Amino acid sequence: MRRKDRSATPTPLAADTAERLAAIVEAAERAAVSVIDDAERQARRQLDDAHSEAERLVGDRLAALSELTDSLIVQAEAIGEQSRQLVSSLEEARRQLEGGDEQEPADRRQLAGRPSHLSAVASVEDDRSEPAERGEQPGTPAGARLLATQMAVSGSSREEIEKRLRNGFDIEDTGSILDAILGPEE
Amino acid sequence: MSLAATQALEDRYLMRTYRRAPVDFVRGEGPLLWDADGKEYLDFLTGISVCSLGHCHPAVVAAVQEQAGRLMHVSNLFYTEPMARLAERLSESSLGGRVFFANSGTEANECAIKVARKHAHGRGIAAPEIVSFESDFHGRSYGALAATPGLARNEALGPMLPGFRAVPRNDVAALREAVGERTAAVLIEPIQGEAGIHPISDEALLAARQACDESGALLIFDEIQTGMGRTGSLWAYEQTPVRPDVLTSAKALGGGVPIGACVTGPAAADVLEPGDHGSTFAGGPVATAAALAVLDVVDDPALLRRVRELGQQLRDGLLALDGVAETRGRGLMVGVGLENGIDAQALGADLLRRGLVVNVPAPATLRLLPPLLVESSHLEQAVGLIGESLLGLSRT
Repeated sequence: MRRKDRSATPTPLAADTAERLAAIVEAAERAAVSVIDDAERQARRQLDDAHSEAERLVGDRLAALSELTDSLIVQAEAIGEQSRQLVSSLEEARRQLEGGDEQEPADRRQLAGRPSHLSAVASVEDDRSEPAERGEQPGTPAGARLLATQMAVSGSSREEIEKRLRNGFDIEDTGSILDAILGPEE
Repeated sequence: MSLAATQALEDRYLMRTYRRAPVDFVRGEGPLLWDADGKEYLDFLTGISVCSLGHCHPAVVAAVQEQAGRLMHVSNLFYTEPMARLAERLSESSLGGRVFFANSGTEANECAIKVARKHAHGRGIAAPEIVSFESDFHGRSYGALAATPGLARNEALGPMLPGFRAVPRNDVAALREAVGERTAAVLIEPIQGEAGIHPISDEALLAARQACDESGALLIFDEIQTGMGRTGSLWAYEQTPVRPDVLTSAKALGGGVPIGACVTGPAAADVLEPGDHGSTFAGGPVATAAALAVLDVVDDPALLRRVRELGQQLRDGLLALDGVAETRGRGLMVGVGLENGIDAQALGADLLRRGLVVNVPAPATLRLLPPLLVESSHLEQAVGLIGESLLGLSRT
Protein backbone atom coordinates (compact mmCIF):
# COMPACT_ATOMS: atom_id res chain seq x y z
CA MET A 1 0.00 0.00 0.00
CA ARG A 2 1.32 3.50 -0.91
CA ARG A 3 1.68 6.10 1.73
CA LYS A 4 0.77 9.79 1.27
CA ASP A 5 3.78 12.20 0.94
CA ARG A 6 3.36 14.45 4.10
CA SER A 7 6.61 16.39 3.43
CA ALA A 8 5.26 18.04 0.32
CA THR A 9 5.67 21.85 -0.11
CA PRO A 10 2.63 23.88 1.37
CA THR A 11 0.29 25.47 -0.99
CA PRO A 12 -0.30 29.33 -0.96
CA LEU A 13 -3.74 28.75 0.69
CA ALA A 14 -2.22 26.82 3.52
CA ALA A 15 0.41 29.52 4.12
CA ASP A 16 -2.29 32.15 4.36
CA THR A 17 -4.22 30.09 6.87
CA ALA A 18 -1.14 29.59 8.99
CA GLU A 19 -0.48 33.34 9.11
CA ARG A 20 -4.03 34.03 10.19
CA LEU A 21 -3.83 31.38 12.86
CA ALA A 22 -0.58 32.86 14.14
CA ALA A 23 -2.23 36.28 14.31
CA ILE A 24 -5.19 34.82 16.24
CA VAL A 25 -2.90 33.04 18.71
CA GLU A 26 -0.87 36.22 19.19
CA ALA A 27 -4.05 38.23 19.84
CA ALA A 28 -5.26 35.58 22.26
CA GLU A 29 -1.96 35.65 24.12
CA ARG A 30 -2.09 39.43 24.38
CA ALA A 31 -5.64 39.18 25.69
CA ALA A 32 -4.61 36.55 28.25
CA VAL A 33 -1.72 38.69 29.46
CA SER A 34 -4.06 41.59 29.81
CA VAL A 35 -6.55 39.50 31.83
CA ILE A 36 -3.76 38.25 34.08
CA ASP A 37 -2.47 41.77 34.59
CA ASP A 38 -5.97 42.96 35.47
CA ALA A 39 -6.44 40.07 37.92
CA GLU A 40 -3.12 40.76 39.58
CA ARG A 41 -3.90 44.45 39.89
CA GLN A 42 -7.29 43.62 41.44
CA ALA A 43 -5.74 41.13 43.83
CA ARG A 44 -3.11 43.65 44.91
CA ARG A 45 -5.82 46.24 45.43
CA GLN A 46 -7.87 43.83 47.58
CA LEU A 47 -4.79 42.82 49.51
CA ASP A 48 -3.94 46.45 50.16
CA ASP A 49 -7.53 47.07 51.30
CA ALA A 50 -7.38 44.06 53.65
CA HIS A 51 -4.06 45.26 55.09
CA SER A 52 -5.52 48.68 55.69
CA GLU A 53 -8.62 47.25 57.37
CA ALA A 54 -6.53 44.95 59.57
CA GLU A 55 -4.28 47.82 60.62
CA ARG A 56 -7.32 49.91 61.44
CA LEU A 57 -8.84 47.10 63.52
CA VAL A 58 -5.57 46.45 65.39
CA GLY A 59 -5.28 50.15 66.07
CA ASP A 60 -8.82 50.28 67.45
CA ARG A 61 -8.25 47.21 69.66
CA LEU A 62 -4.97 48.56 70.99
CA ALA A 63 -6.64 51.82 71.84
CA ALA A 64 -9.46 49.99 73.66
CA LEU A 65 -6.99 47.79 75.53
CA SER A 66 -4.99 50.80 76.54
CA GLU A 67 -8.10 52.46 77.93
CA LEU A 68 -9.06 49.27 79.78
CA THR A 69 -5.58 48.89 81.23
CA ASP A 70 -5.60 52.49 82.43
CA SER A 71 -8.98 51.88 84.04
CA LEU A 72 -7.78 48.68 85.74
CA ILE A 73 -4.70 50.42 87.07
CA VAL A 74 -6.87 53.16 88.55
CA GLN A 75 -9.15 50.55 90.16
CA ALA A 76 -6.20 48.53 91.48
CA GLU A 77 -4.70 51.65 93.02
CA ALA A 78 -8.04 52.40 94.69
CA ILE A 79 -8.27 48.85 96.06
CA GLY A 80 -4.69 49.08 97.26
CA GLU A 81 -5.47 52.29 99.10
CA GLN A 82 -8.55 50.72 100.69
CA SER A 83 -6.47 47.72 101.75
CA ARG A 84 -3.85 49.99 103.30
CA GLN A 85 -6.57 51.80 105.22
CA LEU A 86 -8.09 48.49 106.37
CA VAL A 87 -4.72 47.15 107.53
CA SER A 88 -4.10 50.41 109.34
CA SER A 89 -7.50 50.15 111.07
CA LEU A 90 -6.86 46.54 112.07
CA GLU A 91 -3.41 47.45 113.39
CA GLU A 92 -4.96 50.20 115.48
CA ALA A 93 -7.60 47.78 116.77
CA ARG A 94 -4.90 45.25 117.62
CA ARG A 95 -2.88 47.87 119.50
CA GLN A 96 -5.96 48.80 121.49
CA LEU A 97 -6.69 45.17 122.31
CA GLU A 98 -3.09 44.54 123.36
CA GLY A 99 -3.23 47.61 125.55
CA GLY A 100 -6.28 46.10 127.30
CA ASP A 101 -4.43 42.85 127.97
CA GLU A 102 -1.93 44.58 130.24
CA GLN A 103 -4.41 44.52 133.08
CA GLU A 104 -5.14 40.80 132.65
CA PRO A 105 -3.85 37.99 134.87
CA ALA A 106 -0.46 36.44 134.22
CA ASP A 107 -1.81 33.09 133.07
CA ARG A 108 -3.86 34.83 130.38
CA ARG A 109 -0.78 36.69 129.18
CA GLN A 110 1.09 33.38 128.89
CA LEU A 111 -1.59 32.14 126.52
CA ALA A 112 -1.56 35.32 124.50
CA GLY A 113 1.25 34.06 122.30
CA ARG A 114 -0.77 31.08 121.12
CA PRO A 115 -2.20 31.39 117.66
CA SER A 116 -5.84 32.18 118.07
CA HIS A 117 -8.59 29.78 117.02
CA LEU A 118 -10.64 32.90 116.47
CA SER A 119 -8.18 34.80 114.37
CA ALA A 120 -10.88 35.66 111.87
CA VAL A 121 -13.08 37.21 114.56
CA ALA A 122 -10.64 38.77 116.97
CA SER A 123 -13.19 40.94 118.71
CA VAL A 124 -15.30 37.90 119.49
CA GLU A 125 -12.31 36.11 120.97
CA ASP A 126 -11.58 39.05 123.20
CA ASP A 127 -15.16 39.17 124.40
CA ARG A 128 -15.27 35.42 124.81
CA SER A 129 -12.41 35.22 127.25
CA GLU A 130 -13.86 37.73 129.66
CA PRO A 131 -16.72 35.69 131.15
CA ALA A 132 -14.26 33.06 132.36
CA GLU A 133 -12.33 35.71 134.23
CA ARG A 134 -15.55 36.94 135.75
CA GLY A 135 -16.51 33.37 136.66
CA GLU A 136 -19.57 33.49 134.44
CA GLN A 137 -21.16 30.43 132.87
CA PRO A 138 -20.74 29.78 129.18
CA GLY A 139 -23.52 30.74 126.84
CA THR A 140 -22.57 34.38 126.84
CA PRO A 141 -23.20 36.71 123.92
CA ALA A 142 -19.62 36.15 122.73
CA GLY A 143 -20.37 32.49 122.04
CA ALA A 144 -23.61 33.51 120.44
CA ARG A 145 -21.79 36.00 118.25
CA LEU A 146 -19.32 33.37 117.09
CA LEU A 147 -22.20 31.01 116.38
CA ALA A 148 -23.96 33.69 114.37
CA THR A 149 -20.77 34.62 112.53
CA GLN A 150 -19.98 31.05 111.59
CA MET A 151 -23.53 30.37 110.50
CA ALA A 152 -23.57 33.53 108.41
CA VAL A 153 -20.27 32.63 106.77
CA SER A 154 -21.58 29.15 106.00
CA GLY A 155 -24.62 30.62 104.26
CA SER A 156 -27.38 30.39 106.86
CA SER A 157 -30.22 32.86 106.57
CA ARG A 158 -31.05 35.55 109.11
CA GLU A 159 -34.09 33.54 110.19
CA GLU A 160 -32.05 30.35 110.67
CA ILE A 161 -29.45 32.15 112.76
CA GLU A 162 -32.11 33.92 114.81
CA LYS A 163 -33.88 30.63 115.55
CA ARG A 164 -30.62 29.00 116.62
CA LEU A 165 -29.74 31.93 118.88
CA ARG A 166 -33.15 31.81 120.53
CA ASN A 167 -33.04 28.04 121.03
CA GLY A 168 -29.42 27.71 122.01
CA PHE A 169 -28.84 30.83 124.04
CA ASP A 170 -32.26 32.00 125.21
CA ILE A 171 -31.53 35.38 123.66
CA GLU A 172 -34.78 37.25 123.14
CA ASP A 173 -33.34 40.33 121.46
CA THR A 174 -31.21 38.84 118.71
CA GLY A 175 -31.40 41.99 116.61
CA SER A 176 -28.17 43.62 117.74
CA ILE A 177 -26.10 40.49 117.11
CA LEU A 178 -27.70 39.89 113.74
CA ASP A 179 -27.40 43.53 112.71
CA ALA A 180 -23.72 43.58 113.67
CA ILE A 181 -22.97 40.56 111.53
CA LEU A 182 -25.44 40.76 108.68
CA GLY A 183 -26.11 44.47 108.64
CA PRO A 184 -29.41 46.14 109.56
CA GLU A 185 -32.55 44.50 108.28
CA GLU A 186 -34.13 46.49 105.45
CA MET B 1 -24.05 -15.88 92.61
CA SER B 2 -27.01 -16.21 94.95
CA LEU B 3 -27.16 -14.60 98.39
CA ALA B 4 -26.92 -18.03 99.98
CA ALA B 5 -23.77 -18.85 98.02
CA THR B 6 -22.17 -15.53 98.97
CA GLN B 7 -23.07 -16.11 102.60
CA ALA B 8 -21.52 -19.57 102.50
CA LEU B 9 -18.33 -18.24 100.96
CA GLU B 10 -18.06 -15.46 103.52
CA ASP B 11 -18.80 -17.86 106.35
CA ARG B 12 -15.85 -19.96 105.28
CA TYR B 13 -13.29 -17.27 104.55
CA LEU B 14 -14.03 -13.96 106.29
CA MET B 15 -13.34 -13.13 109.92
CA ARG B 16 -16.62 -12.98 111.76
CA THR B 17 -16.48 -9.32 112.73
CA TYR B 18 -19.82 -8.19 111.25
CA ARG B 19 -23.47 -9.08 111.63
CA ARG B 20 -24.75 -8.29 108.15
CA ALA B 21 -28.31 -7.80 107.01
CA PRO B 22 -29.41 -10.56 104.64
CA VAL B 23 -29.12 -8.53 101.44
CA ASP B 24 -26.57 -8.72 98.65
CA PHE B 25 -26.48 -5.32 96.92
CA VAL B 26 -25.21 -5.32 93.38
CA ARG B 27 -26.00 -1.88 91.96
CA GLY B 28 -26.70 1.67 93.05
CA GLU B 29 -27.77 4.91 91.43
CA GLY B 30 -28.57 8.12 93.27
CA PRO B 31 -30.71 7.28 96.32
CA LEU B 32 -31.55 3.79 95.05
CA LEU B 33 -29.98 0.35 95.49
CA TRP B 34 -30.80 -2.97 93.87
CA ASP B 35 -30.11 -6.41 95.31
CA ALA B 36 -29.07 -9.54 93.41
CA ASP B 37 -32.73 -10.43 92.83
CA GLY B 38 -33.44 -7.05 91.25
CA LYS B 39 -35.40 -5.68 94.22
CA GLU B 40 -35.19 -1.88 94.56
CA TYR B 41 -34.39 -0.13 97.84
CA LEU B 42 -34.46 3.50 98.93
CA ASP B 43 -31.16 4.06 100.68
CA PHE B 44 -31.40 6.25 103.78
CA LEU B 45 -28.06 5.10 105.16
CA THR B 46 -25.74 5.76 102.16
CA GLY B 47 -23.07 3.38 103.41
CA ILE B 48 -23.05 5.20 106.78
CA SER B 49 -22.93 8.64 105.18
CA VAL B 50 -20.16 7.73 102.75
CA CYS B 51 -22.14 8.03 99.50
CA SER B 52 -23.66 11.32 100.54
CA LEU B 53 -24.08 12.42 96.91
CA GLY B 54 -25.97 9.20 96.25
CA HIS B 55 -24.60 6.10 94.59
CA CYS B 56 -22.30 6.44 91.59
CA HIS B 57 -22.64 10.23 91.28
CA PRO B 58 -21.58 11.02 87.69
CA ALA B 59 -19.04 13.66 88.70
CA VAL B 60 -17.32 11.33 91.16
CA VAL B 61 -17.38 8.40 88.73
CA ALA B 62 -15.90 10.57 85.98
CA ALA B 63 -13.17 11.92 88.26
CA VAL B 64 -12.21 8.42 89.40
CA GLN B 65 -12.24 7.03 85.87
CA GLU B 66 -10.20 9.89 84.47
CA GLN B 67 -7.60 9.79 87.24
CA ALA B 68 -7.42 5.97 87.30
CA GLY B 69 -6.67 6.02 83.61
CA ARG B 70 -3.87 8.54 84.06
CA LEU B 71 -2.10 7.81 87.36
CA MET B 72 -3.24 5.71 90.31
CA HIS B 73 -0.40 5.67 92.82
CA VAL B 74 3.15 6.84 93.32
CA SER B 75 3.34 7.01 97.18
CA ASN B 76 4.04 10.03 99.32
CA LEU B 77 7.65 10.16 98.26
CA PHE B 78 6.57 12.38 95.36
CA TYR B 79 4.33 15.33 94.62
CA THR B 80 0.89 14.83 93.07
CA GLU B 81 -1.34 17.72 92.09
CA PRO B 82 -4.76 16.39 93.23
CA MET B 83 -3.47 15.94 96.79
CA ALA B 84 -2.10 19.48 96.97
CA ARG B 85 -5.29 20.94 95.49
CA LEU B 86 -7.48 18.99 97.93
CA ALA B 87 -5.38 20.12 100.88
CA GLU B 88 -5.88 23.72 99.77
CA ARG B 89 -9.66 23.23 99.44
CA LEU B 90 -9.97 21.58 102.87
CA SER B 91 -7.82 24.12 104.66
CA GLU B 92 -9.37 27.17 103.01
CA SER B 93 -12.89 25.89 103.68
CA SER B 94 -12.26 25.26 107.38
CA LEU B 95 -9.51 26.00 109.86
CA GLY B 96 -6.83 27.49 107.60
CA GLY B 97 -3.90 25.35 108.71
CA ARG B 98 -2.35 22.22 107.25
CA VAL B 99 -3.73 18.83 106.22
CA PHE B 100 -2.56 15.27 106.69
CA PHE B 101 -4.27 12.71 104.48
CA ALA B 102 -5.24 9.25 105.69
CA ASN B 103 -7.19 6.33 104.32
CA SER B 104 -10.08 6.39 106.78
CA GLY B 105 -11.68 8.30 109.63
CA THR B 106 -9.94 6.15 112.19
CA GLU B 107 -6.57 6.98 110.69
CA ALA B 108 -7.46 10.67 110.54
CA ASN B 109 -8.16 10.51 114.27
CA GLU B 110 -4.87 8.69 114.86
CA CYS B 111 -3.15 11.66 113.26
CA ALA B 112 -5.13 14.09 115.41
CA ILE B 113 -4.14 12.17 118.54
CA LYS B 114 -0.50 12.32 117.49
CA VAL B 115 -0.78 16.05 116.84
CA ALA B 116 -2.34 16.55 120.28
CA ARG B 117 0.27 14.50 122.10
CA LYS B 118 3.21 16.16 120.37
CA HIS B 119 1.66 19.58 120.91
CA ALA B 120 1.38 18.72 124.61
CA HIS B 121 4.98 17.53 124.82
CA GLY B 122 5.94 20.85 123.30
CA ARG B 123 4.24 22.48 126.27
CA GLY B 124 6.26 20.35 128.69
CA ILE B 125 3.60 17.75 129.46
CA ALA B 126 5.30 14.38 129.95
CA ALA B 127 2.17 12.20 130.16
CA PRO B 128 -0.48 13.94 128.11
CA GLU B 129 -4.14 13.01 128.36
CA ILE B 130 -6.99 13.17 125.89
CA VAL B 131 -10.53 13.77 127.11
CA SER B 132 -13.61 12.52 125.26
CA PHE B 133 -17.29 12.12 125.95
CA GLU B 134 -18.83 8.80 126.89
CA SER B 135 -20.47 7.22 123.81
CA ASP B 136 -18.16 9.10 121.46
CA PHE B 137 -17.00 6.96 118.54
CA HIS B 138 -13.61 7.76 117.06
CA GLY B 139 -12.55 4.45 115.51
CA ARG B 140 -11.24 0.99 116.17
CA SER B 141 -7.45 1.16 115.88
CA TYR B 142 -5.79 1.32 119.29
CA GLY B 143 -5.38 5.07 119.57
CA ALA B 144 -8.86 5.88 118.29
CA LEU B 145 -10.26 2.95 120.25
CA ALA B 146 -8.83 4.32 123.48
CA ALA B 147 -10.79 7.52 122.78
CA THR B 148 -13.95 5.48 122.20
CA PRO B 149 -14.99 4.64 125.76
CA GLY B 150 -17.80 2.27 124.88
CA LEU B 151 -15.49 -0.04 122.94
CA ALA B 152 -12.36 0.49 125.01
CA ARG B 153 -13.90 -1.43 127.89
CA ASN B 154 -13.50 -4.70 125.97
CA GLU B 155 -10.83 -6.25 128.18
CA ALA B 156 -10.22 -9.05 125.72
CA LEU B 157 -8.53 -6.48 123.50
CA GLY B 158 -6.43 -5.00 126.30
CA PRO B 159 -4.25 -3.47 127.41
CA MET B 160 -5.54 -0.21 126.02
CA LEU B 161 -3.39 2.78 125.18
CA PRO B 162 -2.96 4.91 128.31
CA GLY B 163 -3.65 8.63 128.48
CA PHE B 164 -7.35 8.76 127.73
CA ARG B 165 -10.31 9.58 129.91
CA ALA B 166 -14.02 10.09 129.33
CA VAL B 167 -16.75 12.17 130.91
CA PRO B 168 -20.52 11.83 130.51
CA ARG B 169 -21.94 13.48 127.41
CA ASN B 170 -22.88 17.12 127.97
CA ASP B 171 -21.71 17.03 131.61
CA VAL B 172 -20.13 20.47 131.80
CA ALA B 173 -18.93 20.15 135.38
CA ALA B 174 -17.26 16.79 134.72
CA LEU B 175 -15.64 18.18 131.60
CA ARG B 176 -14.25 21.19 133.45
CA GLU B 177 -12.93 18.90 136.18
CA ALA B 178 -11.33 16.52 133.67
CA VAL B 179 -9.47 19.14 131.64
CA GLY B 180 -6.35 20.31 133.40
CA GLU B 181 -2.60 20.78 133.19
CA ARG B 182 -2.03 17.33 131.67
CA THR B 183 -4.69 17.63 129.01
CA ALA B 184 -3.40 17.43 125.46
CA ALA B 185 -6.79 17.70 123.80
CA VAL B 186 -10.51 17.41 124.10
CA LEU B 187 -11.55 15.09 121.26
CA ILE B 188 -15.28 15.02 120.60
CA GLU B 189 -17.91 14.51 117.94
CA PRO B 190 -20.01 17.70 117.70
CA ILE B 191 -22.93 15.37 117.01
CA GLN B 192 -22.43 11.82 118.20
CA GLY B 193 -23.26 9.56 115.28
CA GLU B 194 -22.75 5.93 116.27
CA ALA B 195 -24.38 6.62 119.63
CA GLY B 196 -27.64 7.43 117.85
CA ILE B 197 -27.34 11.05 116.67
CA HIS B 198 -26.91 13.12 119.82
CA PRO B 199 -25.84 16.76 119.32
CA ILE B 200 -23.46 18.05 121.96
CA SER B 201 -25.04 21.01 123.74
CA ASP B 202 -23.84 24.54 123.09
CA GLU B 203 -23.04 24.83 126.78
CA ALA B 204 -20.80 21.75 126.70
CA LEU B 205 -19.05 22.91 123.52
CA LEU B 206 -18.40 26.33 125.01
CA ALA B 207 -17.12 24.72 128.18
CA ALA B 208 -14.78 22.49 126.16
CA ARG B 209 -13.48 25.46 124.20
CA GLN B 210 -12.99 27.50 127.33
CA ALA B 211 -11.26 24.67 129.19
CA CYS B 212 -8.91 24.12 126.26
CA ASP B 213 -8.11 27.83 126.03
CA GLU B 214 -7.34 27.99 129.74
CA SER B 215 -5.18 24.86 129.79
CA GLY B 216 -3.51 25.27 126.40
CA ALA B 217 -5.03 22.01 125.15
CA LEU B 218 -6.33 21.54 121.62
CA LEU B 219 -10.02 21.21 120.86
CA ILE B 220 -10.43 18.49 118.22
CA PHE B 221 -13.69 17.89 116.41
CA ASP B 222 -14.28 14.50 114.88
CA GLU B 223 -16.33 15.56 111.84
CA ILE B 224 -16.03 12.22 110.11
CA GLN B 225 -19.79 11.74 110.05
CA THR B 226 -20.96 15.34 110.52
CA GLY B 227 -18.71 16.98 107.95
CA MET B 228 -18.96 17.46 104.19
CA GLY B 229 -22.42 19.02 104.25
CA ARG B 230 -24.26 16.34 106.20
CA THR B 231 -25.67 18.81 108.73
CA GLY B 232 -26.45 21.59 106.25
CA SER B 233 -23.13 23.41 106.53
CA LEU B 234 -19.89 22.14 105.06
CA TRP B 235 -18.64 21.48 108.61
CA ALA B 236 -20.86 20.97 111.65
CA TYR B 237 -18.79 23.35 113.78
CA GLU B 238 -20.08 26.18 111.62
CA GLN B 239 -23.43 25.77 113.34
CA THR B 240 -21.94 25.77 116.84
CA PRO B 241 -20.64 28.60 119.05
CA VAL B 242 -17.06 27.32 118.90
CA ARG B 243 -14.27 26.78 116.42
CA PRO B 244 -11.97 23.78 116.94
CA ASP B 245 -8.19 23.75 116.59
CA VAL B 246 -8.21 20.51 114.61
CA LEU B 247 -10.90 18.60 112.74
CA THR B 248 -10.96 15.19 111.15
CA SER B 249 -12.90 14.21 108.05
CA ALA B 250 -13.54 10.99 106.13
CA LYS B 251 -16.68 9.06 105.07
CA ALA B 252 -18.39 11.43 102.62
CA LEU B 253 -15.09 13.10 101.73
CA GLY B 254 -14.35 10.51 99.04
CA GLY B 255 -17.91 9.91 97.86
CA GLY B 256 -17.32 6.17 98.16
CA VAL B 257 -13.55 6.07 97.74
CA PRO B 258 -11.64 5.55 101.02
CA ILE B 259 -9.95 8.72 102.25
CA GLY B 260 -9.52 10.56 105.52
CA ALA B 261 -8.04 13.91 106.46
CA CYS B 262 -6.80 15.61 109.58
CA VAL B 263 -7.08 19.39 109.17
CA THR B 264 -5.47 21.79 111.60
CA GLY B 265 -5.86 25.43 112.38
CA PRO B 266 -2.80 27.68 112.64
CA ALA B 267 -2.07 26.64 116.25
CA ALA B 268 -1.34 23.04 115.33
CA ALA B 269 -0.28 23.40 111.71
CA ASP B 270 3.43 22.85 112.24
CA VAL B 271 3.36 20.34 115.09
CA LEU B 272 4.10 17.27 112.99
CA GLU B 273 7.44 17.23 111.22
CA PRO B 274 9.16 14.86 108.78
CA GLY B 275 9.30 11.39 110.29
CA ASP B 276 6.49 11.93 112.78
CA HIS B 277 3.76 10.35 110.66
CA GLY B 278 3.13 8.84 107.25
CA SER B 279 1.15 6.48 105.06
CA THR B 280 1.84 4.62 101.85
CA PHE B 281 -1.57 4.99 100.27
CA ALA B 282 -2.90 8.15 101.86
CA GLY B 283 -3.71 11.11 99.65
CA GLY B 284 -3.33 9.07 96.48
CA PRO B 285 -4.35 10.63 93.18
CA VAL B 286 -7.56 8.63 92.71
CA ALA B 287 -8.94 9.23 96.21
CA THR B 288 -8.06 12.92 96.18
CA ALA B 289 -9.49 13.41 92.68
CA ALA B 290 -12.72 11.83 93.92
CA ALA B 291 -12.76 14.10 96.96
CA LEU B 292 -12.23 17.18 94.81
CA ALA B 293 -15.24 16.13 92.72
CA VAL B 294 -17.32 15.68 95.88
CA LEU B 295 -16.30 19.10 97.18
CA ASP B 296 -17.21 20.69 93.85
CA VAL B 297 -20.77 19.49 94.40
CA VAL B 298 -21.13 19.85 98.16
CA ASP B 299 -19.42 23.17 98.77
CA ASP B 300 -22.41 25.04 97.42
CA PRO B 301 -24.53 27.35 99.61
CA ALA B 302 -27.69 26.47 97.68
CA LEU B 303 -27.17 22.76 98.20
CA LEU B 304 -26.39 23.24 101.88
CA ARG B 305 -29.49 25.38 102.37
CA ARG B 306 -31.54 22.65 100.70
CA VAL B 307 -30.03 20.07 103.08
CA ARG B 308 -31.22 22.15 106.04
CA GLU B 309 -34.69 22.54 104.54
CA LEU B 310 -35.04 18.86 103.64
CA GLY B 311 -33.80 17.89 107.10
CA GLN B 312 -36.54 19.98 108.66
CA GLN B 313 -39.12 18.38 106.35
CA LEU B 314 -37.89 14.90 107.31
CA ARG B 315 -37.97 15.61 111.03
CA ASP B 316 -41.42 17.21 110.83
CA GLY B 317 -42.76 14.20 108.93
CA LEU B 318 -41.26 11.73 111.37
CA LEU B 319 -42.50 13.57 114.44
CA ALA B 320 -46.06 13.30 113.16
CA LEU B 321 -45.88 9.47 113.21
CA ASP B 322 -47.33 7.35 115.99
CA GLY B 323 -44.43 5.66 117.73
CA VAL B 324 -41.87 8.42 117.23
CA ALA B 325 -40.98 10.11 120.52
CA GLU B 326 -38.40 12.58 119.24
CA THR B 327 -36.02 13.41 116.43
CA ARG B 328 -32.43 14.57 116.89
CA GLY B 329 -29.67 15.96 114.74
CA ARG B 330 -29.16 18.64 112.11
CA GLY B 331 -29.66 18.76 108.40
CA LEU B 332 -29.91 15.27 106.94
CA MET B 333 -28.25 13.62 109.94
CA VAL B 334 -31.36 12.46 111.75
CA GLY B 335 -31.83 10.25 114.79
CA VAL B 336 -35.31 8.95 115.49
CA GLY B 337 -36.10 8.22 119.13
CA LEU B 338 -38.82 5.58 119.33
CA GLU B 339 -41.48 5.31 121.99
CA ASN B 340 -41.10 2.71 124.71
CA GLY B 341 -41.97 -0.82 123.74
CA ILE B 342 -40.95 -0.55 120.11
CA ASP B 343 -38.25 -2.98 119.05
CA ALA B 344 -35.92 -0.86 116.94
CA GLN B 345 -34.08 -3.89 115.53
CA ALA B 346 -37.37 -5.42 114.39
CA LEU B 347 -38.38 -2.08 112.89
CA GLY B 348 -35.11 -1.80 110.99
CA ALA B 349 -35.45 -5.34 109.63
CA ASP B 350 -39.06 -4.73 108.61
CA LEU B 351 -38.10 -1.52 106.81
CA LEU B 352 -35.42 -3.39 104.89
CA ARG B 353 -38.05 -5.91 103.78
CA ARG B 354 -40.22 -2.99 102.69
CA GLY B 355 -37.34 -1.55 100.68
CA LEU B 356 -35.99 1.20 102.95
CA VAL B 357 -32.39 0.98 104.16
CA VAL B 358 -31.83 2.52 107.61
CA ASN B 359 -29.62 1.73 110.58
CA VAL B 360 -30.28 0.93 114.24
CA PRO B 361 -27.18 2.23 116.07
CA ALA B 362 -28.65 2.13 119.57
CA PRO B 363 -31.70 0.76 121.39
CA ALA B 364 -34.93 2.55 120.47
CA THR B 365 -33.14 4.59 117.80
CA LEU B 366 -33.19 4.72 114.02
CA ARG B 367 -30.42 6.55 112.21
CA LEU B 368 -31.27 8.18 108.89
CA LEU B 369 -28.48 9.45 106.65
CA PRO B 370 -30.11 9.95 103.24
CA PRO B 371 -28.22 11.32 100.25
CA LEU B 372 -27.79 15.09 100.35
CA LEU B 373 -29.28 15.25 96.84
CA VAL B 374 -32.42 13.37 97.88
CA GLU B 375 -35.76 14.60 96.54
CA SER B 376 -38.61 15.75 98.73
CA SER B 377 -40.71 12.88 97.35
CA HIS B 378 -38.12 10.38 98.61
CA LEU B 379 -38.47 11.83 102.10
CA GLU B 380 -42.25 11.43 101.90
CA GLN B 381 -41.78 7.86 100.69
CA ALA B 382 -39.42 7.03 103.58
CA VAL B 383 -41.67 8.63 106.20
CA GLY B 384 -44.62 6.70 104.73
CA LEU B 385 -42.74 3.40 104.94
CA ILE B 386 -41.63 4.05 108.51
CA GLY B 387 -45.20 4.97 109.46
CA GLU B 388 -46.59 1.80 107.89
CA SER B 389 -43.95 -0.32 109.56
CA LEU B 390 -44.59 1.25 112.97
CA LEU B 391 -48.31 0.53 112.61
CA GLY B 392 -47.64 -3.09 111.72
CA LEU B 393 -45.21 -3.78 114.58
CA SER B 394 -46.46 -5.22 117.85
CA ARG B 395 -45.27 -3.42 120.97
CA THR B 396 -43.92 -5.18 124.03
